[in-house]
Amino acid sequence: MKVVLINASPRNSSSSASLLESLKRYLDGQIETVELHCSKKVVSEDDLKQLRDADRWVIACPLYVDGIPGHFLSCMKQIADEVKSTPHVYGIINCGFYEGIQTDLALEILENWCCKSDYSWGGGVGVGGGGALASLPKLEPGVGPKAPVDKALKNLAETVLKNIPQKNEFVSLAFPRFLYKLAAQWGWRGAIKTNGGCAKDLNKRLS
Amino acid sequence: MKLIIADIENIPFEVHGEYKMIRPQEKIHNCIGCFGCWVKTPGICVIHDGYETTGSDMGKCSELIVVSRCDYGSYSPFVKTVMDRGISYIHPDFVIRKGEMHHKRRYKNVIALSAYFYGENITEREKWTAGKLLKANADNYDGKVKEIKFFESIEELEGIRV
Repeated sequence: MKVVLINASPRNSSSSASLLESLKRYLDGQIETVELHCSKKVVSEDDLKQLRDADRWVIACPLYVDGIPGHFLSCMKQIADEVKSTPHVYGIINCGFYEGIQTDLALEILENWCCKSDYSWGGGVGVGGGGALASLPKLEPGVGPKAPVDKALKNLAETVLKNIPQKNEFVSLAFPRFLYKLAAQWGWRGAIKTNGGCAKDLNKRLS
Repeated sequence: MKLIIADIENIPFEVHGEYKMIRPQEKIHNCIGCFGCWVKTPGICVIHDGYETTGSDMGKCSELIVVSRCDYGSYSPFVKTVMDRGISYIHPDFVIRKGEMHHKRRYKNVIALSAYFYGENITEREKWTAGKLLKANADNYDGKVKEIKFFESIEELEGIRV
């Protein structure tokens, strides 16, 4: 019995990594876990072996243009071609939008992939407010704006440990939407100033 | 202008009027999630591999036509990577539309989005997902869906009129 935790973000430091870290806390000591980072279009032979050796996979992925990032779609095709086992597959999708429900399409694509590849879809968690996850202060699990996310991850960990399917669960941060929207706007203005630009450059239209 | 994003080098149908086609001529680098196209060089991707102007090309088009293999109800990796690289079409700030958070417009054009999916054994479930994907894209681009069709093979695309 082994769980592979697959970080499908192209970034080294990401909300996907932070979500997997939180999930892992609920799994530690109860089952062997292995962590993979699929940041490129190709999955290494070593990583394919890890996938073949595990009976459960958890894929954590950011939402890109309403779906799965292009590089990870390549990885999914390669895995489907080269890993002919029958794992239970779970998904954690995070999006920059406030509403976790906006990740439902990406979870559906993962489910379709499982159907086509003879893997068992185990359901997953869709997380809204992903843009803030990596920058939130580290608090005890279940405390602060991330509390609903921690609860959903705890439920998912229990499901993974039992090796059974669950219904997709969609959550948002315990933080008002208008404040999240404002914080994002301040964030973009700060970022462009750090890069030597000014706030109005954010509106640039190229002809 | 019509903007066509295709994952095949030679599309087997004619396009009427002015158009630009993005196809797999050069190797494409995937989006690295750096948001440089929003906060470093607004409107253009920081990876210069021939696909960096996708966002501004989208800002000039009236129609976006996608020709793609249907992979699990999604666009193929090439088409999806082009779209990922084109997020500078929209503005980083959020707006609320139809009760949900989306990105603000950068450009004024309203895109009519069509998709022609091909592939053997596309399941009904995958077609359902692909339809929802197109609708979600149109919502995020603040555009509209024009047409979606499915074909069993690339050869069958011959019947398309755009």
